[in-house]
This record gives sequence, C-alpha cells and structure tokens, in this order.
Amino acid sequence: MKNSKQSTFTFQNKQDQSYQLGITDPSPCTLACPAGVNVKSYVSLISSGRFQEALDVVREQNPLPGICGRICTHPCEEFCTRNEIDTPVAICWLKRFVADFELNHPETKPKKIKQIQKENIAIIGSGPAGLTAANDLIRRGYGVTIFEALKKPGGMLIAGIPSFRLPRNILKAEIDAIKALGVIIKTNNIIKGKDAVQNLLKFGFDAVFIAVGAHKGKRLNIPGETKYKGIIDCVDFLNQANFASAPGLGKKVIVIGGGNSAIDSARTAMRLNTEEVHVVYRRSRKEMPANAAEIEEAESEGIQFHFLSIPNKVVGKRGKVTGMECLQAKLGKPDASGRRRPVPVKGSEFTVDANTIISAISQEPDLDFLGKNHEFKTTKWNTFAVDENTLATNMKGVFSGGDAVLGPSTVIDSIAQGHVAARSIYRYLNKEPLQQEMKTGAPQEWEFKVDKTLQEHSKRATMPMMKVPKRKNNFEEVEYGFDEATAMAEASRCLRCGPCSECFICVPECGKEVALFSRPNEDEISLFRIPPYYKTLDPAHSPWNGSLITGKKTEPVRLDALIPYVSDPLCRGCGDCVDVCDFDAIQLIPKTDEMSVAKIDDDICRVCGTCVAVCSPSAIIPRVFNQVWLDQKLSAMDPKKKNVVVFSCQWNGSHIDGAAFPDFQSKNTNILFAHFMCTGRLESSFVFQALNKGADGVLVTGCDSDECHYDFGVRQAEKTVETTRQLIHLLGFESFRFGYSQIKGADPETFTQEVKNFVDGLPTKKTHRSTIQKPELKAEVL
Amino acid sequence: MSNSLIESIKKTNAFACLECGKCTSVCPVSKFNRQYSPRSLLTKAVREHFDTLFQDYDLWSCLTCKRCDAVCPSDIKYSDLNQIVRTGAKDSGFHGKCSHSGAMEMLQTIMTAPDLNQNRLEWITDDMETTNEGDVLYFVGCAPYQDVFFSDLDLNIMDGAKSSVKLLNALGVTPVLLPDERCCGHDLLWNGDVENFKMLAEHNLDAIKKTGAKTLLFSCAECMSAFNDLYPKYGFSVNIKLKHMSQFLAEKIESGDLKLKDSEQSLTYQDPCRLGRHMGIYDEPRKVLLPNGSNHFTEMKQSNKGSLCCGVSAWMNCDTTSKSIQKERLKQAKDTGADVLAVACPKCQIHLVCTMKDQAVKEKHGVQIRDISAITLDRMILET
Repeated sequence: MKNSKQSTFTFQNKQDQSYQLGITDPSPCTLACPAGVNVKSYVSLISSGRFQEALDVVREQNPLPGICGRICTHPCEEFCTRNEIDTPVAICWLKRFVADFELNHPETKPKKIKQIQKENIAIIGSGPAGLTAANDLIRRGYGVTIFEALKKPGGMLIAGIPSFRLPRNILKAEIDAIKALGVIIKTNNIIKGKDAVQNLLKFGFDAVFIAVGAHKGKRLNIPGETKYKGIIDCVDFLNQANFASAPGLGKKVIVIGGGNSAIDSARTAMRLNTEEVHVVYRRSRKEMPANAAEIEEAESEGIQFHFLSIPNKVVGKRGKVTGMECLQAKLGKPDASGRRRPVPVKGSEFTVDANTIISAISQEPDLDFLGKNHEFKTTKWNTFAVDENTLATNMKGVFSGGDAVLGPSTVIDSIAQGHVAARSIYRYLNKEPLQQEMKTGAPQEWEFKVDKTLQEHSKRATMPMMKVPKRKNNFEEVEYGFDEATAMAEASRCLRCGPCSECFICVPECGKEVALFSRPNEDEISLFRIPPYYKTLDPAHSPWNGSLITGKKTEPVRLDALIPYVSDPLCRGCGDCVDVCDFDAIQLIPKTDEMSVAKIDDDICRVCGTCVAVCSPSAIIPRVFNQVWLDQKLSAMDPKKKNVVVFSCQWNGSHIDGAAFPDFQSKNTNILFAHFMCTGRLESSFVFQALNKGADGVLVTGCDSDECHYDFGVRQAEKTVETTRQLIHLLGFESFRFGYSQIKGADPETFTQEVKNFVDGLPTKKTHRSTIQKPELKAEVL
Repeated sequence: MSNSLIESIKKTNAFACLECGKCTSVCPVSKFNRQYSPRSLLTKAVREHFDTLFQDYDLWSCLTCKRCDAVCPSDIKYSDLNQIVRTGAKDSGFHGKCSHSGAMEMLQTIMTAPDLNQNRLEWITDDMETTNEGDVLYFVGCAPYQDVFFSDLDLNIMDGAKSSVKLLNALGVTPVLLPDERCCGHDLLWNGDVENFKMLAEHNLDAIKKTGAKTLLFSCAECMSAFNDLYPKYGFSVNIKLKHMSQFLAEKIESGDLKLKDSEQSLTYQDPCRLGRHMGIYDEPRKVLLPNGSNHFTEMKQSNKGSLCCGVSAWMNCDTTSKSIQKERLKQAKDTGADVLAVACPKCQIHLVCTMKDQAVKEKHGVQIRDISAITLDRMILET
C-alpha cells in the first residue's frame, strides 16, 4: 500500500471553473499507522466474517498481530473519523481478535522458506524491530540469525511488558511463527566487545542490524538516590518480575514517571503482595504519555496517582528507603515537546511513604556491549546515529533501528523501523542506492467523503475484562478479547473513510464517487476522489491540465478519465462493442438515416477496456492503457538482459514488482510489468510491439472466467490470445515466447510462480525484430 | 527536413496546381466527407505549413486511389504528394489512426527482421504441387496472416491463394512459393515508413533472385503494385516479369489452354485501384470473368477507370467516410443483381466484408464476395 501525503489537485475546465480533487490516499487510520498496515481493508474483511483474510492483510505489514492487538498504542484509533461522531472503532482489539482466531483455529502452519540468496544477515536483538526485519529478510530469501542476550526472545516485549497485558503464549506463538520460516534465534548469546560487530561481518554475515532496544534506565538525579536501598529501575524490576524472580517490595511502593512503563510497573507491583502503590508524575493527567485506558485500569486496580508532583529527594532510615519528598508543581509554558513545563511551587514539600521506589522516567540503549572506544557514531541521547531514511550507521553494512535509535518508543514504531532496515539491507546487498522514502506519520488535514451528519451513532464495543478483585496477585491476562459476533459488529462501525483501497472492484458501483480519473504518467494508477460537483465534469473533456499541490510543492499534472470514449468520425457503427459488453454500457445511437454511432454510458461502464480491444477501426479511445502507456512500459527494455513483458489484469499481481523475484537479478532478467484493468483489454498489437521492442517473451495473466466479474473480458482475452498465438507462430516465434495463464483466486503466489515458470523456460531470443526503429509516436492524429 | 520535403513535393508537380478543384469533384472521400479537400491539403504542402499538415487527420484519409491524378489538368501526382508528406509526419512522430491498434503495421514491421523463420506455408495441402526453384513464382502476400487475424469475418481469404496454386497445377505449372516471403512493404510505404519498406523490398528481391524465377504471379493487386511501381521508384531494379493472376489466366484462356464453363452465379467485378488506375489493368480480369460473351456478367455503375475504391488504404483512418464509400460500393454491386462480387485484391475483400458486419448493411446490400481465381477454379473444365 502506497502511503502519500494529502494532496490537492486543482484544474480548470473549459468553462474556466476551478475544481479541486483529492488524491485517494489511504484512510486516516492507515496513514496514522507507522507500519502502514491497511487498516480499513482488514476491518472491512472482519465485518464480513473473513477473519483469516483479514489477518493476512495485517501480516503484509505487521508480523506481530497478536502482540500489537494487545499492547499497540494504536495511533490509528486516534485519527479514526468516528471520533468526530462518537467513539473510534476498536481497531486494535479487532486485530487481536483475528490473531486469536488463528491461534484457536490452527489450520495453516507457516512453511519454512528456502534460502535462495547466498547472503546471511545477523540481527542483534529479538525485539519487534529485529523480528520484523528478520521476517522481511527471510521472505526475500536471505539467511537470518538473531542474537539475543536474554534467555528468551522478545526483547522489551518479554522483559518489559507484564504477562497480564501480553500473555507469554501469544508472544511465543508469534515468535515461533517467525522461527518456523527459518529464522535462527540464538538466545543467551551476547555480542560483546569492541570488534564484535565487525567480526560478524568478517565471519559469515553480510550485513548486521543492531536492534538492541533501550533497556538502561535513566537516573533520577535527586539527593538520596544512591544512599538508600530500595530504589530500583523499572526495566530491572519488570525484567525480574517477568522472569519470575520478583523482588520483595514491601507494603508501599512509589513509581515515578508517566509512561507505559510506569503504569506497567505500578500494575505489576500491585500484583506482588503490596498494599499501596503510588504513581508520582510531575505534570497533569492530560500530559501523561501512557495509554488512557491503561491509566484507567490502574486506577480501578487501586493505584493512587499524584499528579503535578516533582520528586525532590529520597528519604530513608538505616540505609533503607522510607519514602520520597515531593514538591507541588504548577504548569508553565510549553517546552520543546509541546507539553506544558512543570514549575515547582516553593515551600510545597510533602512526603509519600514507601518501602520501594521504582524509577520509570525514561530509558536509553545500553551501549556497554560495544566496549570502550567503539567506532559507532552515537547521539547525545546515547542512541545510534543513523541516516533517518535508511537507518544506515556510519559503519558499512551495519544498520540500526528500533529503540536503539528512537529511544524508548512503541512496538509499532519499532516494527516500522524493522521494515525500513530490511529494505535498506536488501538494497545494500543488491548494490542499489539506499535512499528510502519514508512517508508515514500522522495525517494532516483530512476531509473524507463521509457525510458525518448522516451517520448513526453507535456504541464502541467494550472489552470484557477480569473483575478487579480477582486481579490481586494474578498475572493472568486482564482483557478477555472479543467473540466473533462482537468483532463483526464492531468492525461494521467503520465508516470506510478515505476514498478507497484502490482495489478497483467498486469502480462503477462506488457510492462515494471515487475513481474514473487517473494520472497516466504515474507508475501506479492513482484514483481521485471526486467532489459532489463531479457530475458536471464531462469525461469527454478529459484530460485536464492542472497542478498538484502537496504541502508547499506544486507540480503540473495531467488528469485522465479512466472511461474510454468513442470518436464519432471513426465509429463505423458495426456493433462489435455492443455485442461484447455484458454490462450493457454501450448503445448504438442513430447518427444519420443509415449510420449509427456507439455511445458509452459513463455511469455503467466498468473500464475493463474489452470494447477498446474489439473495435476494428480503433474508434474507442482509451484515455489510459493506450499507446502512450504501452510505449512507456516498453521503454524499460534492457538490451543487455533477458526481457520479459508481463501483461496482467489488476487483480493478478498488480501489487507485485521485481522485488518479488530476487533471484532474477542474478539471472540477468528484466521483467516489465504492465497492468491493465482486465485482460479483455489485450490486443495482438501489444504482444507484437513488445516482441519487436526486444522482449524475449510475453506473458499474459488474468482471471479465470468463472471467477471474474469481467467474465466476458476474459472470454475475449482467450480469443485474442489464440489469434496472437497463431500469428506469432506464422512469424516463426517459438511457442514458449508467448504464455497465457488464468490464475484462480488471483492468488499472488500462483502469479509469482507462473512468472517464474515462464521466465525459467525462456531462452534469450536472437533478434527477430526490426532493425530500424521509427521515432517515438508523439500522437495519433485524430 | 522541410527542404528535402519541398524538393520531393516539387517532383509531384504540386506547384502547377491551378486550383480548379477537379480533384475534389471526383474524390470519393470528399463525396462523403465534405470537409475533406485534396486541394487544400496540397495548398498547405506547397506553402510548407507542415506543422499543421502533419497533425491533420485528413492527411491520412487519402485512399491513394488516383481518381484525382487521372483528372488533373496539371498532371499533379496527388497520391505521391500524400505519401511524401506522410513520410515527413511519421519521421516527426505523428501518425494517422491505425485500425486494430496498429496490429497490421506491427506485423509488417516485424517482417523486416533479418533472421525471421516464418511458418507461412502451412496452408499448403497434399493436393497442391509447389517447389523451391523454378520459372514461375507465386507471391502469396499476407493472406495467411489475414486469414488468422480476420477469422471472425468468415472471409475464406486463403481461397484465393489455394485456388491459384490449384489452377497453376492444372495448367501444368508448379509454382515456386517462398517460405521466407515477406510483406511487400506497400502499406508501410504509404504509411510513411520508407526505411522499413526498403528493408522488405530488399529481402523479397534477394529471396526471389535465389529461386531463379522469371515470372512473378500475384493474387494481391497491392503486392504487384509494390513490385511494379514502388520498388523501381525507390531504386530497386525488378528484372522479372510481373503478372496478376487474372492476366495469367486471361492468357491461358486466349491460348485455349484454359476452358471455362459459364458461371452458375451472375457476377460483377471490383477494380482494385492498384490494378486499375495504378497499373492500367482493366481488360484481363473481365476476360477471365466473361469468356465467350457470357451474359452472366454485369458492370457496376462505377467501373473501369471510374471505379470506386474499397474505402480504406494501408489500414489507416478506417472511419465513417470509409464505411459510406463501402456501403455505396456494396449498393452498386447489389444493384447489378449479381450473386457474386469478384475481387482481385484481398484488401477489397476484407474491407467490403467487414462493412457487412453492420446487420442493416448486410440485409440491404449483402452480396457474396470471392477472389477471381477461386471463381475461375470452380468454372474450369477439366479435359480428360
């Protein structure tokens, strides 16, 4: 899924009216997700009971759905359009539901992936960033080994998140699923020493990803901190508690801090035979970075909060902590983080009694493993200094990400960094430039085509939870999860905002008046969201010239309607198009007494392009998928390589590019993908042109006519393919130069396999092409 | 470029135009498309308004049927002028509207490839005798390709070639057929692609030379015109006798070697522009269709020198005007009361049959269309 910023397209029509169209970016939830998970898609699938498919969508961008479904900070919900109507869709819990569903219905087990690349990658740290990178890289065919210093994998997930929030069987299942792909995780394996990282590169590994997290607690820097026993850092505390060797805390505990670690520490302490747990935080509740729901749960469990309280000094007796003196604070001007700075009030000292103080103010990466005098560049926060776009460190072949770069952050941010690291490593190993466009982040101003006034209010599903009294000394999971009915009902609350998921299935039926327009010079088709006054835009006047404004950048663009049109002087009224279109979108209209002309109904047309292909005089003019489009696609022919042109319909492999075929790189194969809406658009001339421009083979892939809603398009494709096959046989091309596959269920794996099979059986052809190439066509004169 | 263009244009006599408008008065395109005017295109050319001319739809509408050339008092070769300007346009990246998204043009272009290994003779059946070397070569043309591409039209386009070979065999000739025959290049040249046209000419002449053939026979009027007019015009010497099948058959009828019975069906005949006005062959096809003064033959309203074109040339600008011309031609054929319209060029056959896809046209003006050799084969009296 492509992530892009909100853009506005303005243009003037012939009547000099000015219009604005928005590009169909993903919905706000998807844009808000650092990992770019297609939220709307999986929520939509859940609402119709397609749980496994929903999970597949999540997994495309997030290998840890069960974990994220529990502890993600879900920025997606923050930007949910339902916020403006009632309450956001419970996206995070829905994700948890599908992950649990799979766990309870273990039908498909992940298979081991064969290592097809010679390179091996070492990953230091098995937290979310390391696991994500491992998952991405092994799927690209590399060997991946993770080195983990702790005795169990998971990084902060296992060391820092208590089991009542993230049960260990869930964590284990998701890590096991990644291991099952072939990732080796070596636990209790500490990489240590000045040259440890370089040694990995010297001995067997081709790239290293350092994802060691941020496990070192920061000091409070207040008097008495080092004087008394009974002060513990939250990471050490949670680590000990999680590995079942909880320290004795005494009856009263103070936790200092306002983040998730602080709340987790407090709630864990509450489960360890304590009587009072206090959270001391220097700002107000509003500024607290922890999840609001977690704070509420903590309160309901009896944890006492002291807001606007600044720790002043630790008080103790006989070497042991007895409490902490605090100062009252008031909020001053906002600081660099945008939050209002707490200002101590003079003479407001007060003391909170405690046997143990847990410090949870912040963490930083523990870089001791690198030894003294290491050569890595670091920042003033003691994190790795990396190129923020590529995550490359100053050492060649070494990348770093996750909390080791970000400082303490969220699971989903680390997953996002894992993806970036994997892409960078792939590019590094393939000697491609590393630049990586990261276009994620909170959406800016969004206005979706959802009429909020028409939406009925509906109540967000509540999470069934363990009763508070039962939670005492109990590390069982507090939240029970949704059942199927609740999940489907909750998913149905989604407004499906944002214009569409660019699946194209809805094009003609789309009630949101999306589609119909495309920027032909884009690599991918971009659909445009059309404002209500769209109806006054006659596609006949397409293309429009205008400007695309993204932030401060303005670029000239051309906008084309997707619907083809009939050139009146060319149309011979033969009726072939009328006969072929099963949607009945075309009619013959009498023009003179004896001459009729075809007319396409823009509202009914589904843009499959079959009519364009059958039109003998080529009188039906496609605005996209035309000669210009074809020339552009075929221009990427590489005379030094084996060239294969793949024509495929939008449902087959439209999201697959060369990256899905890593081994072709070494085989010196150049695959040119040309997707149109439906294989019905295929014409013999496309294949001839490809062969004449230097293609060694042409493969056409489309749907099966039994499955496709463009069934007549598929039938036409079969005809065209047969004609083409016979013609290239006459010309003397071997039959294996031209292939056609109908792919059941638009299965991407079948698609990839078909392409591989076709390419593998294809020797490089001699010339078989014209030696004189005429100048590029500027225009067909109409 | 405009300098060399204008030099070429001078050779067509274009500067001698008297602006009398006779060309427009006979032009079939002008008749059905009142906007179209050969004279105004010529004016733009001599004034060197190439920028507008290259992007003028009408530039590609000319059928090169030579009706205008025949009537011009200044002897201007208007069709040649068109070809020259089209070459300029093509080299500047502009092109007319190709029917079938340019599939035909692409096939022809691929045929310029030096190392092609065609399977173009698979239509030959056991009852036909052909050879690789000999005196007489039958130049098949693109019919095997058209047979596949237009399979939907039920054209039976191979009928012409098959019948020709069978007739030749019956008359004691074992024709040479080239396994590596290429497109003649006619369409590419008229589309403005001179370089690829030349490639094809060279290929064909080389291949023919190797067979030792002294006579070249054609079913396709355009192929013959390419060898007869276009190859020499572009500097290729064609030292070989060229005959259309109708000419060959007429000779054999004259000599008494070929005896025909009366046709069971009444006939009429479509003069292909290339055979008629381009090469002046009018009588021989009629001799073949009308031996022994049979009364089964009727001329159409427009025939011989005034014959009407089949409406499309070189797969370009196949539009409503084309259809009007074709409909008019079918109407003229129907008006003769003939059962069969005989053609001497597969293009005429394709274009006129295609027009009958329109059911209304088929009901009103529908007529059977057959190649002249196929009709003759049916009528041949075999002497035992």
